[in-house]
Amino acid sequence: MTSLLEGAKKLVTRGSDIGARVEGLAQAVEASRGRLDDEVVDAAGATAARAAHRLRLSADHTVVALAGATGSGKSSTFNALTGLELSAVGVRRPTTSWATACVWGSEGAPELLEFLGIPERHRVARDNLLSQGREDTALQGVVLLDLPDHDSTEVSHHLEVDRLVALADMLIWVLDPQKYADAAIHDRYLAPLATHKDVMLVVLNQIDRVPEERRETMLGDVRRLLAADGLTGVPVLGVSSREGWGVDGLREEIARKVASKKVTKQRLEADVRASALRMRTVTGEAAAPTLSRERLEALEDSFAEAAGVPTVVKAVEESTRVRANRATGWPATAWLSRFRPDPLKRLHLDLGQVGRELTGTPRSSVPEPTQVQRARVDTEVRALVDDVTAGMQPAWGHAVRRASVSRLPDLGDRLDKALAATDLGVERLPVWTGLLRALQWVLVVAALVGGAWLALLGVATYARVPEPPTPEWNGWPLPTLLLLAGLGLGLLLALGARVLVSATARRRASVADQRLRQAIGEATEELVVAPVQAELDAYGRAVDGLATALR
Amino acid sequence: MTEPQTRPESPAGDPSPDAGRMLTALVQLRGALQQAVLPLEVPEVEVHRSARADMIAQLEDYVIPRLMTIEAPMLAVVGGSTGAGKSTLVNSLVGRRVTQPGVLRPTTRSPVLVHNPEDAHWFGQDRLLPDLERVTTATNDPSALQLVPSETVPAGLAVLDAPDIDSVEEANRTLAAQLLAAADLWLFVTSAARYADQVPWQFLREAAERSAAVAIVLDRTPPEAVETVASHLARMLASRGLKDSPLFTVHEGPVDDEGLLPASSVAEIRGWLESLAADAEARAGVVRQTLEGAIRNVAQRTHLVADAETSQVEALTRLREDAEKAYAASTAAVREASADGTLLRGEVLARWQEFVGTGELLRSLETRVGWLRDRIVNAVKGKPQQAERVQVAVESGLETLLTEHAEAAAERAEASWQSLASGQALLRDAGEDLGRASRDFRRRAERAVRDWQRDVLEMVREEGADKRTTARFLAYGVNGLSVALMVVVFAHTGGALVGAEAGIAGGGAVLGQKLLEAVFGDQAVRSLAERARQDLERRVAELYDAERARYLDLLASLGVDEGSPETLRQAARRVDDLRFAQSARQEPGAGSAQGSAQASVPGSGTGTGVAGGTGD
Repeated sequence: MTSLLEGAKKLVTRGSDIGARVEGLAQAVEASRGRLDDEVVDAAGATAARAAHRLRLSADHTVVALAGATGSGKSSTFNALTGLELSAVGVRRPTTSWATACVWGSEGAPELLEFLGIPERHRVARDNLLSQGREDTALQGVVLLDLPDHDSTEVSHHLEVDRLVALADMLIWVLDPQKYADAAIHDRYLAPLATHKDVMLVVLNQIDRVPEERRETMLGDVRRLLAADGLTGVPVLGVSSREGWGVDGLREEIARKVASKKVTKQRLEADVRASALRMRTVTGEAAAPTLSRERLEALEDSFAEAAGVPTVVKAVEESTRVRANRATGWPATAWLSRFRPDPLKRLHLDLGQVGRELTGTPRSSVPEPTQVQRARVDTEVRALVDDVTAGMQPAWGHAVRRASVSRLPDLGDRLDKALAATDLGVERLPVWTGLLRALQWVLVVAALVGGAWLALLGVATYARVPEPPTPEWNGWPLPTLLLLAGLGLGLLLALGARVLVSATARRRASVADQRLRQAIGEATEELVVAPVQAELDAYGRAVDGLATALR
Repeated sequence: MTEPQTRPESPAGDPSPDAGRMLTALVQLRGALQQAVLPLEVPEVEVHRSARADMIAQLEDYVIPRLMTIEAPMLAVVGGSTGAGKSTLVNSLVGRRVTQPGVLRPTTRSPVLVHNPEDAHWFGQDRLLPDLERVTTATNDPSALQLVPSETVPAGLAVLDAPDIDSVEEANRTLAAQLLAAADLWLFVTSAARYADQVPWQFLREAAERSAAVAIVLDRTPPEAVETVASHLARMLASRGLKDSPLFTVHEGPVDDEGLLPASSVAEIRGWLESLAADAEARAGVVRQTLEGAIRNVAQRTHLVADAETSQVEALTRLREDAEKAYAASTAAVREASADGTLLRGEVLARWQEFVGTGELLRSLETRVGWLRDRIVNAVKGKPQQAERVQVAVESGLETLLTEHAEAAAERAEASWQSLASGQALLRDAGEDLGRASRDFRRRAERAVRDWQRDVLEMVREEGADKRTTARFLAYGVNGLSVALMVVVFAHTGGALVGAEAGIAGGGAVLGQKLLEAVFGDQAVRSLAERARQDLERRVAELYDAERARYLDLLASLGVDEGSPETLRQAARRVDDLRFAQSARQEPGAGSAQGSAQASVPGSGTGTGVAGGTGD
């Protein structure tokens, strides 16, 4: 299909509107493939391809087809217009089994005739035969086709007619007094081609069989039936190919239409419009919507919850608190807290950078999303899609919905990966904890020293050893001071550190939250937003293409 | 229905008990056909629909009235394409202008029935073609039948001028088909321009299948072309099973001011018709042959309609199963989700733990100090508040679950219906978007969940009516206990929980269970949990059944009866049995009139150039 698009692009340089229309249609077809019903898309694609092909072929020739029921006199009319006895006329029905072509001005015609599928032996070139009369220059550039019938018992005739009616530039319908009101021609050809009435002519043949006073009434009746089909304004000519009445008028009418050289483009434009209108009923005209900010945020929230981000953030806070307290707490009791498990360890999220490198990105033990959380995620995705497809036709709405859930099965894995790959920044404790720890140990040592000194003094007093002098400071003996200060300051420090530790834990938790949410945001983007956006872009292209085609 | 009249043996009549039985069988067949609607858009259903309509129309218009009045005059219907010259032919045969031919096409006027004045009583409103109103003057109303008595038509024969079979006017086409189906004898008119058209040959093929008596009239042919066209036409007739049909030619010529052809042009046809009218036995033979052919044809085609009905029933069953499966999957998913403890996670658990005052209790083995502290705080703040917060958490979790699964089920059901052509057509005409849950589903789900919680409250209240004095009961109040019960219900499962949650969820539930057991005793707690869960399941099933009913009601409204294919087949077999029995009685040993043998119409001569295959 891309070659189709390129071919159509080249046509734009031919300076006409029609190239842009064909390109628009081709663009819409490409954007809609796989999203709309294949039948509709294929039909439109075939129209675009046919139009592109025809535009590449000779612009100097106009293909005029004579179509009608069996026995209406197409072949006689054909012979009368060409001035030769090319087509067999007969009493046995049906007569013409294959299409015959007569070309006025065969420069560049062979390709066109190949396109129409007319074999060599059914082609005649009019310009290298006998002396060209005035009438022949009038029809210069015309390729006149005599088609088989469309209503006899021979099915192959119908198929040939259907094929060529779709390819011809101008259509001349040959009716006759007996069959002009047949359902076969009105229901199958005239009414469905009402959009192409600018490139049609209707001829009422065998007018010699109608009594003279009734002829005008009959022509009026034909016009009435055509109006009922939607073909008001199509010229209706009364002709008798057997007697030769009206054939000159018909020739002039054809020449007039062909001289403007616009028939081909008119026909193709009508084709493209009809095709684009059919596609538009399924595509709709609403402009491509954008995704709303609130919905995306709500979606990210539900993803975060499903990933267990609150759990992890809480664990970060707890873990920091525990470890910092252990580091800065009063050493005497701090070691007791080793019995409390580290929440992050339980979740396997504590390995830090080095650990991750050694083991790749291991799966964390954050619990899987529960049913309720999955349900929330699904609900948010559904709400997002509802929001976006509010003005769209059902076919496109379904396509967007399908895209939105196409990657959700990967949800668990992807969230796990996001979580495990995020650097939570918890493996190291802040520097001041180290300092405090050192200070605590100093105080402990001082207390121990004081305690040991007092113990020694006590032992000495007990053993009645002469007491060595005890230094004093402000009237307090130093060992006592050391002991009391060590214990007291140690406790104070521990309590103060607790406050600091809470603050640090909360700060770290919020940093971790931010990072996790960013990772989750990327996951959301990948799993839901990107596929949906791709569908919306395709929808936009389709709507634009159709708008160009229908301008 | 009037009783079949008991008459002595007439040349055309069967012994009446036979006719009576056949009549009953045909009436039953018509009833069965009328009941066998074909509403679903399975592939190729249009063909069967029109076949069924045609058969019902033929039974009503022709077969049943004809069987009741087998001695009525033979009806010859003149049919053919637009502009073939039917009306001119009828006028010329009758000898005066009885119908109005036109130059402009198509001609729209009431069909005209020309009969002998003695036979007027045979063509009343309730005989043949009962839905056409009888009139006596020319009108343009295609649903009326103009009766014209004329002495020139022999007794025992009636001629009906039908509209054309292929013009733009659809009403003409359907009426022509209806009239031809009611004919004893077809006079099919074609012309040099039309004799190879597709539409007339479709009609003729149907006539051949039905063994209807057909005579072809070649009209509007220029004299120089008569030989060629007639021989070609004869060959076409022979190759399509109409070898024995007489072929008449009417030469094209000027009409007089009355619009009639010269008598000599139509002499042959006229003579043939008159001899047919005079020979009562030949006439009876024609009538019987056409009637039997029609009955055989109807019985045969009934089997096709029965097959079509079977495929309708199958399609209906498939659609119903798809919808049921989609909703059953959702019900099972909700049941599983609400029973395996995962609803405890998140909010519910947090609220529960706050309420019971176990903040950090389970996650670390801290001292009871914290527990005591929280209990005091709770006593100050007031229990009911805490219990309400847990209730709210339970509600929104369940509600999300129910709504999401309802949407998912609707989506699945719609997708499976969209994959079938019949489902697509039903969804298109449904009027509401069946791919989403109904608009008020969320509200109903909310109400259901609240009602369930209220019921659980009632259960606990009832059970604990005599335990109010228990200290713990007083402490937690009925609200708290019902919340505890809900928590137990949610955790009551064999499903495995993963990782850290097992401890938390299980722990919460264990605590709840211990609480309840302390108040009510072990056995009572188990039975309470079971009752609470059954109640929840029942409500969930109710909700989803209402959703599913949107789909199933659509199917029920189609009116397809599962037994109608069999009824149809039985009715057709009964008609066939009677037919065989009758023909065996009439011609013992000669076999029955089977196959598509063409009606052998006694002809006084065939048209020019037909016999022996002269011409090229």
